Amino acid sequence: MITRRIDSGLRRAHLALVPMALVALVCYLGATLWSLRISLSSSRSFPVSDFVGLAQYRRLFSNERWLHSLGNLATYGLLFVAACLIIGWLLAILIEREVRMGGALRLVFLYPYAMSFIATGLVWQWLLNPGLGIQEAVRRWGFSQFRFDWLVDQDHALYTIVIATVWQASGLVMTILLAGMRGIDADIWRAARIDAVPAWRLHLWVIAPMLAAPFATATLLLLTGVAKLYDAVVAMTQGGPGTASEVPTKFIMDHLFGRANIALASAGATVLVLSALIVMMPLIYARARSSRRPA
Amino acid sequence: MSGAGGERPSVPRRWYTDPARLGLLALLLSAALCFLLPLYVMSLTSFKSMEEIRNTSLFALPPQLSFAAWQAAWSSACTGVACNGISAGFWNSVLIVIPSTLIAVGLGALNGYALAFWRLRGAGVLFAVLMIGAFLPIQVMMLPLVRLLAPLHLVGTLTGIIIVHVIFSMPVMTLIFRNYYAALPRELFLAARLDGAGFLYAFLRLMLPMSLPMLAVAAIMQATGVWNDYLLGLVFAGREHLPMTVQLNNLVNTTTGTREYNVDMAATLLTALVPLLIYALAGRWFVRGIAAGSLKA
Amino acid sequence: MRTLADAYRAAGGDWVDTAVAGNEQARAVALSRIVGNDAPAAALFNASRQFRELIDQGLLITLDDVAQREGWDAILPEPILNAVRVNGHYYAAPVSLHMPTWIWYSKAALRKAGVEREPTSFAELFVALDRLKAAGLIALAHGGQAWQDNIVFRAVLANLGGRELYLKAFRDRDAAAIASPQFREVLTTFKRLHGYVDAGSPGRNWNDATALLISNRAGFQIMGDWVKAEFSSAGKLPGRDYGCIPGFGAHSPYIIQGDAFVFPRSGSAATLRAQKLLASAITGKATQLAFSALKGSIPIRADVDVSTLDQCARLGVSIMKDRSRQLGNDETWLTPDQNGALADILTEYWNRDLAVSVVQQRIAAALAD
Repeated sequence: MITRRIDSGLRRAHLALVPMALVALVCYLGATLWSLRISLSSSRSFPVSDFVGLAQYRRLFSNERWLHSLGNLATYGLLFVAACLIIGWLLAILIEREVRMGGALRLVFLYPYAMSFIATGLVWQWLLNPGLGIQEAVRRWGFSQFRFDWLVDQDHALYTIVIATVWQASGLVMTILLAGMRGIDADIWRAARIDAVPAWRLHLWVIAPMLAAPFATATLLLLTGVAKLYDAVVAMTQGGPGTASEVPTKFIMDHLFGRANIALASAGATVLVLSALIVMMPLIYARARSSRRPA
Repeated sequence: MSGAGGERPSVPRRWYTDPARLGLLALLLSAALCFLLPLYVMSLTSFKSMEEIRNTSLFALPPQLSFAAWQAAWSSACTGVACNGISAGFWNSVLIVIPSTLIAVGLGALNGYALAFWRLRGAGVLFAVLMIGAFLPIQVMMLPLVRLLAPLHLVGTLTGIIIVHVIFSMPVMTLIFRNYYAALPRELFLAARLDGAGFLYAFLRLMLPMSLPMLAVAAIMQATGVWNDYLLGLVFAGREHLPMTVQLNNLVNTTTGTREYNVDMAATLLTALVPLLIYALAGRWFVRGIAAGSLKA
Repeated sequence: MRTLADAYRAAGGDWVDTAVAGNEQARAVALSRIVGNDAPAAALFNASRQFRELIDQGLLITLDDVAQREGWDAILPEPILNAVRVNGHYYAAPVSLHMPTWIWYSKAALRKAGVEREPTSFAELFVALDRLKAAGLIALAHGGQAWQDNIVFRAVLANLGGRELYLKAFRDRDAAAIASPQFREVLTTFKRLHGYVDAGSPGRNWNDATALLISNRAGFQIMGDWVKAEFSSAGKLPGRDYGCIPGFGAHSPYIIQGDAFVFPRSGSAATLRAQKLLASAITGKATQLAFSALKGSIPIRADVDVSTLDQCARLGVSIMKDRSRQLGNDETWLTPDQNGALADILTEYWNRDLAVSVVQQRIAAALAD
């Protein structure tokens, strides 16, 4: 009787996963394969079924703007993830000790995650505009040589995107790490106090390694944010000045519609997916090995 | 909000005499000020008149509070030919968010449960595909999705946009629930199976009640994510159900005519109000939920 | 847009709006919906090759009967006609004609800088710009967005390079012309103009740049005739407060760019009727006059009485009557992709110091295929 129950349980489990299978295979895998197919054709606004080999990819990698976008994304990714992790961690450490206003402060750091860049893009433009925002305000206070015109500077525009997106995401990292700290045994804190271990040493050498899992989760979430970077760029700089802050998703989007070249856009998309795969592969492999569970 | 375990042997000190504590507070407050800066500017601007905006600094307080911009943003600003403010989009957003959240969270929990407790052939591969999918930007999926939904006559409908949101949120939802269930003691589940519980029974009667914090986290993330979405709503929601974010963009980024910045800011704040409220009221559950699970990547 | 809606309603139609801010996004939505079987009844495109593929795929209705009735062949200027008439059939209803490369100036700013007369050549323009800069004003009000950079370039190409070079580059995509010293001079002059914009220029919207002229803080702006709407809503009058230069020289080319509605096939007879109704409503004389007055554009029809339009529009209309001066916008010949690639190169050159020869090479490569 139990065997029958177990069998029907397994069948039901398979059934329950049908939506997920559909989504994964038809939508995600299907979309990726479709993009791949289109990237091997000469489609303009609408798909055509000819075959041009790797011509689109050749064109893609001789396109200045695309190469620039890739470089920008790599730089951005490194800065963004590092800054979010460090700032989120520092904030978590600071708040963890603060009992009284912890709740309110936590909201202050987390609220940016609730706002989209459609909403905040304009404000960031103002804040970073040399004539209107921070530079102007600080100059009015008397520091007439103060410069903060990164937004309109070729070489620094990308960093403004980093600033705005770090503002948005640090709170989430902080929350994840805070929650992780909660799970740490009280004895550790007590022992540290008794041994008079200085706080920074405690956090750096003892607590942080114990937070490996939350750090990993946070990094994963941040990386998905990097791959999808689009809203902030469009809202703040539209890729400019010139092509200083172009990113691959914007390249793809522009070529899908405005430039009427879905083949080139699909080539870009495929390259992006491949990059994501390369980044994720070791992680997936590690997880697959470690999470072999007995039935 | 006391720290882990909350037991620290210490001599109670007044916060204003403890230099370490003061230093801590100072650091936190300055960080808080930086984080609040955009919100500060947005609020101030929404209460000023256009004259004041043009002539005073971005950071100056308005000489008098004027709610005119708020009123205009809600009910009379022009988002295209229609000038009904962004209130038109408010109910659309609500209609989109609620079903999307319920379905996405429900499916995520179901998927996570099935993946964590039941050994199914091919499930690992499917899950890996889904995880890669988490990295796919919307732009990559847009056209294929449009072509997929077109023959089903779902493009431009409420059902369509809900389905699209569920599709895009599935990776993350599944991931966090799977991690959560994987961290729970397996004995409970095995005992229930031995007692004769079937797939659904174990899920509904045992697992779901145990995962309330996680449900809260998932719901909060999904609700705010869907509310703030712009691109998907623009393409898939159809004329009748354009969400508030689309109306907002039409208002703020109009390329013709003078831009009324105070109205823009008021409209922005109105649009952001719902997610902000969610985080303000349910933030506590958010932290608890994350603490309870999904700590293992 | 409201003028059009009103005219349509007056003719008996029912206008339901799907507004999307931003031209590119609006087109993206329209295309997505067409692909998704949820096509809008009408979509606004530029009168260019943008909707050529829609035609090739057989997704648009023809407007031949409306065209015959209204006599489009006679009243539309050639570049527009070439865009809407493909293989003998008419596929789009033109809404407005714009000239994107007018040179506007604020009279008060010029007076303050001691510039006596309108510049009539680039040499004089640079002198004026220097004077403005010396007087502490913003010499050239510019919004650093790719399409605006493109406009400045086209202005230089048309006025300095001349009609021949323009056509060789955009219509014939002649690599030799692009590599020529004349083209090089156009590029360097274009880059030289960059020295006269202010620091806050990148990313600025076009109407914010016009606002600088309105407040007399800037001297010149190179932009299309849609700026007139900004001037009028601020109470400024042409001739009194601001001036408009269509080009340098008595035979300067007049670049024509237009918007047009296309009508996707729907399979519904009622929709077809509505589409035809819209097409004739927006091309009607009264609508054209009213629309042009508000938008700053020129009526598409040559037979409209323009005495009520402002002097810059009247100037534009009279220039346009001379067919030898009509010049199509680059979008008329270039595919959206080529146009976009060109814009990318130009905007990068505008913002970054690149060697001119490199830019020439890249442009030739971008327009090659």
